[in-house]
Amino acid sequence: MKNIRSLNVAAHRDFGYFFSSLIIVYCLSGIALNHVNDWNPDFIITKENVSLGKTYTKEQVTREVILGFGKKVGETNFKVFDFPTNNQVKIYYDNASLHLNLESGTGVYENVSRRPVFYQANVIHRNSLNGWKWASDIFALMLIAINITGLFILKGKYGLKGRGKWLIAAGTVPPLVAILLMEFL
Amino acid sequence: MKTRLIIMLALVFAGLTGFISSCKDSTANPAGAAGAKQKTGVLLVNHGSRSATWRQALLDLEASAKDSILAGGDVHGVKTAFMEYNEPSIATRLKEFDAEGCTDVIIVPVFLTVSPHSFDDIPTIIGQKEDPQSMEVLKIEKIERYTPKAKTHITPLLDFTDIVQKNILRRVKAISKDTANEGLVMIAYGDETYTKEWSALLNGVGEYVKANAGINAHAHGWCGHIAHYNPDSTTVAINRVLSKKPKAIVVPVLVAHDEMFQVKIIGDGINKIENVAEKITYKPDAILPDPNVTNWVINISREYVMKVQNRTAQK
Repeated sequence: MKNIRSLNVAAHRDFGYFFSSLIIVYCLSGIALNHVNDWNPDFIITKENVSLGKTYTKEQVTREVILGFGKKVGETNFKVFDFPTNNQVKIYYDNASLHLNLESGTGVYENVSRRPVFYQANVIHRNSLNGWKWASDIFALMLIAINITGLFILKGKYGLKGRGKWLIAAGTVPPLVAILLMEFL
Repeated sequence: MKTRLIIMLALVFAGLTGFISSCKDSTANPAGAAGAKQKTGVLLVNHGSRSATWRQALLDLEASAKDSILAGGDVHGVKTAFMEYNEPSIATRLKEFDAEGCTDVIIVPVFLTVSPHSFDDIPTIIGQKEDPQSMEVLKIEKIERYTPKAKTHITPLLDFTDIVQKNILRRVKAISKDTANEGLVMIAYGDETYTKEWSALLNGVGEYVKANAGINAHAHGWCGHIAHYNPDSTTVAINRVLSKKPKAIVVPVLVAHDEMFQVKIIGDGINKIENVAEKITYKPDAILPDPNVTNWVINISREYVMKVQNRTAQK
């Protein structure tokens, strides 16, 4: 029995050490993705309003005119341009684009860059890497193992049979209330 | 102690052996197959969905249009590709056309109206554009980019014609009971970048229904990313119509039926209305199936096959 207990403590401790960085990655990314409707957790998109000073028709937009538009936002060359509608043009640059309304002579210059740390954490969390789902499955199973081994570390009044059972019961209340609210409201 | 540590580490890494590094960009040769005998494929591209019902509707569209497109012998093959979520993806299908020796692929986007999917994502996937945001998002979503050896030609979208207007009119007439007391609520996916164009499309449809069915109040709401997939936009649009008319007909302006949209999001939005059974008429259907859409696919494919042939003949 003593051997099992010491093996349990060792497993909890060492799995805990090993997965500590991944737990932080998943927690950070979890918070970031929870608020996906309020911010872009993956990219920093900077937008700059642009005024052309005059209006254009689709027919007036030539390669030279496109180069002129680019100069207004500090772009000296472009990859390609295309017309989403008859009164709009979108110009593509390296890591940026310029979307213009030809009728109003205004538009938005948009620059895209990866949000440091969060981008990488979200790639892991969302299984955007081929094969990572197996790693995340193992991680999930190990979290269960860390959880279960943690229940049996202490004995006595601070153990599972003491305050532990009450705290476990208390911990089930928030998800239960949430589920009941969802079902009956 | 060391043995235990080694056993634990071995357990953890055992499952990681199949890990392969992240998605890679295509390294295609855009040179095409100049000089080779012309061989044209038609690829019907749609958004893709986790709903099997949704996907089947798009596969049925291909089945209904295929024989007519192939008749005449100008087209080598007709296939369907899903942009997101599912295989066969666009890249998979383009590789197949390449392997079959196609020189040209006509891409028919089965999308309602302009959006970053049709304007940026699809051209970026097939190597026609390099939209920075699309490239990053495609990488995250594990959508492979592939520039085929065949030349690609993208056709206009569904809103290029009056198909959407006719489709909604038919569906409204099928469930309308009392035109004088009814208003029309249209719920579409929507888009942040092209809200004006989406609103113009739906306003046009509303006016068309008004002129042809006599239902003279209409409003629209969104159920896609722009509304955060939230039913509130549906409820707001319904209430706008109910402020003018005692009853509302709710019509999903969505390409096909997806339980998440027609049942969950729009359904939940409807259920927030008081006396819903009295006030709301709703059928969770979709634009497909529609013989007019099938004909549009056939006609636009033929039109582009001829364009490609003429261009090649001129060269």
